[in-house]
Amino acid sequence: MTEYQSIGKPIPRSDSREKVTGSALYVDDLRFPRMLYLKVLRAGVPHARIKSVDITKAELMEGVYKVISKDTEGLDKNLLFGTCIFDQPPLAVDKVRHAGEVVAAVIADSEKNALRAVKNIQVEFEELPHVLDPYEAIAAEAPLIHERNGQYKHLPTFVPVPDSNVFYKYHLKKGNDTEVFREADVIVEDEFEYPLMNHATIEPHGAVAYWDHAGDLHLWSSSQAPFVVREVLSDMFNLPMTKIHVNIPYLGGGFGGKSDYTIEPLLTLCARYVPGYHVKFRLTRKEVFIGTVLGRGLKGKMKIGAKKDGTLVGIEAQLYFSDGAYADTSCNVVLAAGHNCVGPYFFPNCNLQSFGIYTNTPPVGAMRGYGHPEGQFMIERLLEQLALKLGIDSHTLRRKNFLRPGDTNSLGQTISEHNGDVVECFNKMIEALTKNLLPNEDDQFFYGRGVAALVKSPVQASNAASCVFLKVNEDLTVNISIGGVEMGQGCLTVLAQIAAETLKIPVKDVRINYEINSQLTPYEWQSVASMTTMRVGNAILAACEKAVTQFKKNAALVFDCDISELSYDGKTVSRGSENIPLKDLVKGYQYEDGHAVGDPILSVGSSVVRDVTLPDLDTGQYQPYEWTFGAQGCDIRIDKTTGKIKVIHFVTALDVGKVINPDTARGQITGGVMMGIGAALKEKILFNKKGIMQTDNLRKYRIPTMTDMPEKFTCILVENPQPDGPYGARPIAEHPIIGAPPAILNAFQNATGISLLKLPISSERVLTALKQRS
Amino acid sequence: MELTITVNNREYTLEVDPKESLLFILRERLGLTGTKNGCSQGHCGACTIVLNGKAVKACLKKAKKINRANILTIEGISPEFPNKELHPIQEAFIQATAVQCGFCTSGLIMELFALLRENPSITEQGIKEALEGHLCRCTGYQPIFDASLLAQKMMRSKNSG
Repeated sequence: MTEYQSIGKPIPRSDSREKVTGSALYVDDLRFPRMLYLKVLRAGVPHARIKSVDITKAELMEGVYKVISKDTEGLDKNLLFGTCIFDQPPLAVDKVRHAGEVVAAVIADSEKNALRAVKNIQVEFEELPHVLDPYEAIAAEAPLIHERNGQYKHLPTFVPVPDSNVFYKYHLKKGNDTEVFREADVIVEDEFEYPLMNHATIEPHGAVAYWDHAGDLHLWSSSQAPFVVREVLSDMFNLPMTKIHVNIPYLGGGFGGKSDYTIEPLLTLCARYVPGYHVKFRLTRKEVFIGTVLGRGLKGKMKIGAKKDGTLVGIEAQLYFSDGAYADTSCNVVLAAGHNCVGPYFFPNCNLQSFGIYTNTPPVGAMRGYGHPEGQFMIERLLEQLALKLGIDSHTLRRKNFLRPGDTNSLGQTISEHNGDVVECFNKMIEALTKNLLPNEDDQFFYGRGVAALVKSPVQASNAASCVFLKVNEDLTVNISIGGVEMGQGCLTVLAQIAAETLKIPVKDVRINYEINSQLTPYEWQSVASMTTMRVGNAILAACEKAVTQFKKNAALVFDCDISELSYDGKTVSRGSENIPLKDLVKGYQYEDGHAVGDPILSVGSSVVRDVTLPDLDTGQYQPYEWTFGAQGCDIRIDKTTGKIKVIHFVTALDVGKVINPDTARGQITGGVMMGIGAALKEKILFNKKGIMQTDNLRKYRIPTMTDMPEKFTCILVENPQPDGPYGARPIAEHPIIGAPPAILNAFQNATGISLLKLPISSERVLTALKQRS
Repeated sequence: MELTITVNNREYTLEVDPKESLLFILRERLGLTGTKNGCSQGHCGACTIVLNGKAVKACLKKAKKINRANILTIEGISPEFPNKELHPIQEAFIQATAVQCGFCTSGLIMELFALLRENPSITEQGIKEALEGHLCRCTGYQPIFDASLLAQKMMRSKNSG
């Protein structure tokens, strides 16, 4: 086995000193000269035509610099943006499609004055019927949310259904898709719900925009996707990218909620009216809920069939996503869920349909897991029912049907050894889980054990790229500029480890430049899909290898030999017993008489996703990226009197390929599992009958707290290397959220005999279910 | 109103609106941005500071209630770092990898600062209950809990040594 100096070591996070001292700067901490503040008026009704917006009173109020509404001079009423479907205006002009949509904005010298002016804007609406539920939204009598659905510019993959609320329908067919159950002896089916959720990053979204008098746009934003933001702004304002400066400071969490863009189009549009001023827009917590993006929101049906011996033969599913007022990135979530809902199992026959549906809620976008938690919640719950019906142990049923090398997945891709090993993950998870004895039911508690397996592919642009610039300083320390965003996941540390290993130098000598400025930083598609370690890591690997070659080239000039004769050890370049210290090569080599040869060490690296294709419009088949497998299981305790569920032990085994940093990997797992526990037991966005969100703060929308933490976490990092990953690593960050809800609900069923299919199972729902049972 | 407060051992006299929050005063008037604004509603704990020895949420404290108060923020617990050592709680957070995005970190450290000073031998359950008011979306809390125990241990050995 290779002995590494940095890879696999629990190196402390490079950003932790800044963060524990409070000196790390986030967007709201930035201060600028001539600062103004933006506050907005939101619709307050979920679906309406705008008849008039009266800003005359607001414009005259103290401290107000500019009020922007649909009638503002110079506002392009036809301006629409989007990532998959161009259906979203930065500011409502004719209609509002959700209650948090912005109707007018005020720029003033303080937030207080801006807010006072906002309260004095009068809007007249003609209210329209609204729809929140995806089933209701596809009914014939449903109100049409986008009259122009089908006419918007869109990417070729995402074909809308005109005159309906369906903006995307994905249909995947594999094998005998018309008679998927022909060989089935047993069929089970159920209907499931995964509610709308909020990312609840502790840092609310914020941004500062500044148009200078040269016409350049400067933006500081809490975005995971600086280069997507730049592209959107370049299109919106018809500005060359050399005039757009997108800066990203530290991010206080992302989880998809700060991708791809949220508040940036509106803010930059408004700030353009006050050139020379820095305009800050920071959302209140309520605005994060009602005015950015939500996640999930699935209702669906699934049906699976098997032979008597448990061999799976076919699967049918219909997934309906309530995706909110605008398509945002949900097109890709719909796609991912459509083909991933089969889980890590082999089904010869598939007929899978997934629908993206406009509803009158905030738009639904990316959220940790991106289409995988939704469908795999369904399959993992349904396998449990199949096992019961067949009279087979559910672990045996899973083991019998796991995707193994040589099997084809739902997309027809053949799985190979290098995809990792779901069987090994499952076995190791079971081994860890069964080390503890599950107590027997007593007067106060039920006890249950449940498991789930998982698979995930990064959903990304088929040409997603990462680029880096590397320079070796005169003292042999190294700076590497990346476009990947540090939002808490620990990429700065892990990427420094990859660089240090490749350059054979200590990790402390590498600085990954976290400060992103789109003028200086090389291109990065965006920091999503758990791909930063892998894709940026590969780019860094390439840049470091080039730097090593450059050191050797300089030395080759001195030794007057071919570089193949030279070796590099991180301190010197040597030829046989002779060597030259790197310090004498870093700026080129200088002879005693002063004359110099060679070049300073400066390199670039890039990594581009290869062989990813787009879905075929007829069969839905395509070639996504690589896969990561895992398995999760838990023991839970259910309080008979309160209905409260406590997770006693939660085990996760993930085939991570190669651990770069065990501590940060573990942190991704404990964090992901906890978010999954939130989805299982607590979190759900609720609206009242008028279409107004009720869960609009962190008291009403409850994310897990420290007392919800499992009594014990076990994290198992399985290492079957990914051949094209840096040192064999593969993506893992989103994955731990996927299996947690089904494992917990399976445990609940095993404990009580009650099959619950809708998330979350709050203590109230548990009590009701227990009452109904008795 | 005129407000006099001591923040991190320095006295300030300011002209403020009585309804202004301590969080606004710290961040916007004094430039102490280490205290974070996560919700301004008292729900997330990110703005926790130590006021007259007690951990409180700065967003809920109005100016009119804090005249003559003695306040400690994250900037005040190891003000001479890196010339001198970090506070053991900060050191423990680094060692236990309890920091991810960092937005909840200041609040948690200040809560523990007050807690461990008041009750150095607080139980594990006591720590969990004290930190329940602090939301963290990144870590799953386990590393924070581990850091808390480590900090407690480090502070005890420091005091006994």
